[in-house]
Amino acid sequence: MLSWDELQKAKFTEANARERAFGLVDKGTFTEFVSPRDRMPSPHLPVLGEAIGYDDGVVTGIGLIGKRPVFVVSQEGRFIGGAVGEVHGAKMVQAIKLALKAYEDVKVKYPDSYEERLPAVVISFETGGVRLHESNAGLLAHAEVMDQFQDARGKIPIIAVIGSKIGCFGGMGFVGAATDVIIMSEQGRLGLTGPEVIEQEMGKDEFDASNKALVFRTTGGKHKYIMQDANFLVEDSVAGFYQQLQEVMKLPFAEIEKFRRIGSKKLVEEQLELVKLAVGLGAKDSMDVWKYYGNEDPAKLVDMGPDEFLKVAKRRERKLG
Amino acid sequence: MALNELNFKYKVENPQSIAKEYSHLGVVGSGDLEVLMEKKDFGGGAEVKVVTPVTGFDKVWEMVVTKFVKGNNLGDLLIEINDNNATPVVVSMRLRQALAEANKIEKGGE
Repeated sequence: MLSWDELQKAKFTEANARERAFGLVDKGTFTEFVSPRDRMPSPHLPVLGEAIGYDDGVVTGIGLIGKRPVFVVSQEGRFIGGAVGEVHGAKMVQAIKLALKAYEDVKVKYPDSYEERLPAVVISFETGGVRLHESNAGLLAHAEVMDQFQDARGKIPIIAVIGSKIGCFGGMGFVGAATDVIIMSEQGRLGLTGPEVIEQEMGKDEFDASNKALVFRTTGGKHKYIMQDANFLVEDSVAGFYQQLQEVMKLPFAEIEKFRRIGSKKLVEEQLELVKLAVGLGAKDSMDVWKYYGNEDPAKLVDMGPDEFLKVAKRRERKLG
Repeated sequence: MALNELNFKYKVENPQSIAKEYSHLGVVGSGDLEVLMEKKDFGGGAEVKVVTPVTGFDKVWEMVVTKFVKGNNLGDLLIEINDNNATPVVVSMRLRQALAEANKIEKGGE
């Protein structure tokens, strides 16, 4: 494995789950929970004759960003498309549970300065959602992760990091959207139904999954950033995401909560206005929406590097703080 | 249908274990594998466990693994491989990488 310093320079899209978990927290601070040495493969895959992995496709652990304990969940897209099965899901849930326990402990131990030591959860999504081989257990895992998110509301921030090859799709698309903050790169993709599935169900006229440019400007980081689905857009490097996490950790929790897109009546109303707009605007392409939000020449944004894009791109204005 | 599990045991002269207590390398992606190496008191012996969906290639597995263990004089070592249809060339390469990783001296802060 690359050293921490080498990893910072590495492309986020090329880093595997363990490298990402290791590189998203301060140098030398990462400790893995239930590492491969603990041998926790899926109990369901062997009977189906499917290959197993000792981490079941997810790396969990704890590290520090400054003084704050950061509980990391990092999914491996190369293992069954990062799909969530029973063990994989249980590891996600336990990591968040531990973060909540740490929150209680920190409050008792540092009653006067707990805000600067507030734990956080960082989830590096790379998944297509439920692992169909373990259907019910996989679905249940999604519900349990959501349940933990609810328990964490108003206590600790949950931050989504999306910049890996598979993106964040299926049931985990919902889970990703339910976090407090979403950080994406241009290469990151977020959605519910994946492009191939839309094409398969609705036909090539509806969505041409082989048209990579179309796929990326519909589900990719730039579009999500303009739409305010993603709060931050960073360059495709481990350092890009790590530095953005550092910035977010400096904010008081009340500020972090304002990044949420769902989770209150007002936010639901804001989302419903977007639905109205989607119907009213009759947009044929995401670029029509970019234009609507004030980007005069949306085609130019497609090939722009992240630095220039961040300078010129106009975003949807949010109604709430 | 079930997964194929292969076990091999070796005893070489002047065996060498690894520098770290344990080491892990690789991702069980399609056509790839993960290798876990763990220092064990096997009285100088080496044990290898392979878990793979592939059937009918036990002989090839044995040849690849034997060449690796004997070629590197490995002992007091447990090697576990979780495979997902990797070719023999990929298996050999990953084993060599795993051994290099297992013998890497940790630098401060890593």
